[in-house]
Amino acid sequence: MGGLWRPAWRRVVFCGWSWSHLGRPTRAAERAEPCLRPGRSGPAGTEQGLRRLGTWRRPSPAEQPARRPKSTNPYTRSQEEDWRRRNKTVLTYMAAAAVGMLGAAYAAVPLYRLTTGLGGSAVAGHASDQIENMVPVKDRIIKITFNADVHASLQWNFRPQQTEIYVVPGETALAFYKAKNPTDKPVIGISTYNVVPFEAGQYFNKIQCFCFEEQRLNPQEEVDMPVFFYIDPEFAEDPRMVNVDLITLSYTFFEAKEGHTLPVPGYNSNQQLSPASNL
Amino acid sequence: MSTAMNFGSKSFQPRPPDKGSFPLDHFGECKSFKEKFMKCLRDNNFENALCRNESKEYLECRMERQVPASPLTFPFRQLMAQEPLEKLGFGDLIDGKSDKN
Repeated sequence: MGGLWRPAWRRVVFCGWSWSHLGRPTRAAERAEPCLRPGRSGPAGTEQGLRRLGTWRRPSPAEQPARRPKSTNPYTRSQEEDWRRRNKTVLTYMAAAAVGMLGAAYAAVPLYRLTTGLGGSAVAGHASDQIENMVPVKDRIIKITFNADVHASLQWNFRPQQTEIYVVPGETALAFYKAKNPTDKPVIGISTYNVVPFEAGQYFNKIQCFCFEEQRLNPQEEVDMPVFFYIDPEFAEDPRMVNVDLITLSYTFFEAKEGHTLPVPGYNSNQQLSPASNL
Repeated sequence: MSTAMNFGSKSFQPRPPDKGSFPLDHFGECKSFKEKFMKCLRDNNFENALCRNESKEYLECRMERQVPASPLTFPFRQLMAQEPLEKLGFGDLIDGKSDKN
């Protein structure tokens, strides 16, 4: 920033700047004259000016009254004060609105959960009586393929015992995986699952399986791991599922340390898994 | 499988099973039932509807068995909690009729 606002020039411009000039109109020439003395300009003047720069400071708020209107005309001054007051109120309201919006954004998530009771993605609600009463949709055959994965640090042999199974929505089905611990030490594994395609996953309900709980395999032990599941009958009525004929169920095993518990997925993490629990 | 690193698109939310987790059948007590079921599946071209009797029998085997668990827990632990078969979706098989389509 150069030009008029360079420090040396500031001395000249602000030299006669004092609030007293508002009290009585002074001549500009009278104000400016001391600033243009020979000592203040030229090489010597700049030195003096620069020296004074270090000591010059703005009049502190204690020395001058708080914000005075900029205009000298008394008629526009009250209007200006009016504007200032209105500006201040508008600004306060805007700030309050902004803070309110921020608060509403934070509050929206728990409020939604409370009011609708849906903890995660919108799912077709299922209860155990639904299983009793559901009617298989016999004309809609779906192929379920199985996939088994193991985390790199887990040395189990984990694989499905059938590559595919054909089910219809509303019919409970059983499938098996097999896991073998070829090492000489007992190993504890814990698994999670995934369903592809994503939208079909919400219709895939497991009645009982081997996931989310520690499974301990002794050395050289091989076990069968069943999955008992069904596809919700509403699957057949969902227009988005019209082209879905293949669902892949994929299980992945990870190694678990002794005594470590995996939090059960879901919003309410206090859920306890028990064999007869109803969700 | 979804590489669930795309923020903004929905990610898969696994749900816990309704009736919890199957205890492992360490001693293979229901293995024969499982073998029957697998054989039925292979014979019928992996159609589940034709093998529902075998799956029912496997689950009944699990429910009957009492496994001696470790001394720290309750003396006997079932391989599967007792549930009436209707609740497992086998209501139409209870009278002994098989469901072939």
